Amino acid sequence: MLQHIIDSSHLFRPETALTATFCVVLLVDLFLRKRTSMPAYVAVLGLVVTGWFIAAQYGGAPATLFSNMLAVDPFSIFFKSLTLASTLVIVLFSLQSNELRDSKRMMGEYYALLVSLTLGMFLMAGATNLIMMYLSIELTSMSSYILSAFTKEADDSSEASLKYVIFGAVSSGLMLYGMSILYGLTGSLDIYGINRALIAGNVNNVTLLISVVLMTAGFGYKISAVPFHFWTPDVYEGAPLPVTAFLSVASKAAGFAMMMRFFKVTFIDAAVGGSYLGSWISVPGFEWNHLLAILAVLSMTIGNLIAVWQTNLKRLLAYSSIAHAGYLLLGVVVLSNEGYAAVLIYLAVYFFMNLGAFFAVMMVANKIGSEHIDDYKGLGYRSPLLGVCFTILLLSLTGIPPTAGFVGKLYLFSALLNAKWIWLAVVAALNSVISLYYYLRILRNMFLTQPDPAGAPIRFGAVQIVILLMFVIPTILLGVYFGPLVQYAQASITMFTNR
Amino acid sequence: MIPLEYYLSLSAVLFATGVIGVLTRRNAIIVFMSIELMLNAVNLSLVAFSQYLGSTTGQVLVFFVMAVAAAESAIGLAIIIALFRNKQTLNIDELNLLKW
Amino acid sequence: MSLFDIAFYFFALITVASAALVVFSRNIIYSAFALLFTFFGVAGLYALLGADFVAVAQLLIYVGGILVLLLFGVMLTTKLVSVDMKTGTLQALPATLLFAAVAGALSGVYIITDWNVLAGAPDAATTAVTIGDMFLTTWLLPFEIASVVLLVALVGAAMIARRDARSKPTQQAAL
Repeated sequence: MLQHIIDSSHLFRPETALTATFCVVLLVDLFLRKRTSMPAYVAVLGLVVTGWFIAAQYGGAPATLFSNMLAVDPFSIFFKSLTLASTLVIVLFSLQSNELRDSKRMMGEYYALLVSLTLGMFLMAGATNLIMMYLSIELTSMSSYILSAFTKEADDSSEASLKYVIFGAVSSGLMLYGMSILYGLTGSLDIYGINRALIAGNVNNVTLLISVVLMTAGFGYKISAVPFHFWTPDVYEGAPLPVTAFLSVASKAAGFAMMMRFFKVTFIDAAVGGSYLGSWISVPGFEWNHLLAILAVLSMTIGNLIAVWQTNLKRLLAYSSIAHAGYLLLGVVVLSNEGYAAVLIYLAVYFFMNLGAFFAVMMVANKIGSEHIDDYKGLGYRSPLLGVCFTILLLSLTGIPPTAGFVGKLYLFSALLNAKWIWLAVVAALNSVISLYYYLRILRNMFLTQPDPAGAPIRFGAVQIVILLMFVIPTILLGVYFGPLVQYAQASITMFTNR
Repeated sequence: MIPLEYYLSLSAVLFATGVIGVLTRRNAIIVFMSIELMLNAVNLSLVAFSQYLGSTTGQVLVFFVMAVAAAESAIGLAIIIALFRNKQTLNIDELNLLKW
Repeated sequence: MSLFDIAFYFFALITVASAALVVFSRNIIYSAFALLFTFFGVAGLYALLGADFVAVAQLLIYVGGILVLLLFGVMLTTKLVSVDMKTGTLQALPATLLFAAVAGALSGVYIITDWNVLAGAPDAATTAVTIGDMFLTTWLLPFEIASVVLLVALVGAAMIARRDARSKPTQQAAL
């Protein structure tokens, strides 16, 4: 056993580095009070070291660590890389954010919590045991609760955080209840053990259905799918913008990683066809992917419909991210390798376009102090560069060629059509059209209305422009040259199987 | 010998009580208490399974749930204190800055 | 009816009655103390189920930690000027219906399920040694991650709840 633990620790290096970074960043504030950006730099150093350890894990054979608690396989490495990239970007955002600078608080805890949030997401991406799934969700959630309450002087921040805590605690309570029923049915907390018990049969389907419905409550909360999305608009609006951006991309990706791994390993009996187009056979029981299809349709429709009314940019982007969770769920519903690869492609693309959109909103909020859509009138004239960049990002979010968003949707639709889910593809296409309306409303305000006479041209700092281009350029680039990304995603859907 | 179903039904009743508390009460602290009821219900059902199925794994999960519940209530109460300092009320209906 | 069964019904009654009091009482202090009895009832049930370590942990963590914290929260957030600790209204009929639906559905499902119950008397050994061993061998990783969770909660709660020198001035110095 001791040897097993020592062997596992070798593959656990990224998470160990993150934990060490967390502790060091907390202490930096204590010893180096004068330099307010020091915690950020220490955090970046720690994250770079973590990234180096992850890179060292590339190409290794899939394995599980610590008695089947955590898996290290191409799937988890993909998500860990995505999360790490998000964290580095968010540290950059936080350094540029006026909102955080004006709170005049020591930032050591903020960066330490960002690192612990990253650790939670790493664990979510690899968890193969129900206890680890619960603990990693709680680690992520707790760091998020605190981070969203960071600017607590603002009234809406603590209110948003309270709603987040209550909703998150209830959802994880529901999920835990589902886990307890699953444990009672199968006698095992390890998803491989559960899979074996389900294949062996004689499990009551109704009880299994209830347990999966309850667990989906927890997963749905993490990925902001309807009807577990109620926290999303409030928290996205009330939390500081870098935190919102982080939650919208990385937290959703980690939630999807955990959900995809859970559903695939627990409920799939065998994989038919070795290529990436192969489809799967489910364990006899109920059709869980129909349950997820309902969630997907609700998320897309309700997310897009409510976004049409929104006037606060952050809230609009929150509802749009609910809709995107719906699109992503479609890839899981399809039950094929192609569908999973499509989800990974879409998440990679979503990283660029969503973080870019949030950064553009932050740049504007820094300068004009508002996130209201009416204050975007004439922005295209006052700052053409921002207008054009934001336009590209919004078109990508809608899914219009030749942007990266179109590539993501292309692969999702192709997976749906190959698996004969025609009606879902039609619903998704209609929803993309609805989303076009509210994204174009922003564009109309920016370019087709004249600015106030008092509106002077806005100049943005060079650093901010460079960061924005860091998102816009890949959005266009991936729209035309997406081969490597697709190949990488298709290679990354390999999960550790305990056969 | 008490059958397993009795323990499970008791846990279901406790869970349902907690859910009612979360949905119908307005005071944030009572909502937290109801969440603790839900988590206790889950723990009870896990320990019952652990006993009747003959494995100690369930009790290990119970321990972790307790630890996390303690941490969550600490954070929740800290946020409540911060909120109360700003607004002098804990009535969830009055927290309506963030609407549709 | 053996003593064991009587003890089960006694603890079950305490638990359910106290839980109902927590949720439906209009006085927040009554709710807090009813929660205390709920925790005691559940600890008794754990002891009946042979989970000795968990029962004691329940008392230490829930009663000694969480309940004390909740009481602090209650005391710190009621206005000193008014002695009215009453809290909001709730509609009785929808709540009862929802309760019956949820509890009934879950219990019904449990009763019809065929659990693989272990035949014969359960092992009466103490669980503390077994659990302790498991924490350092099989369940090592969750154990360590739980400690990170607790550290995060500690740091976060302290950060949120502390009074900053530059926070908004409040009308009363109650906090």
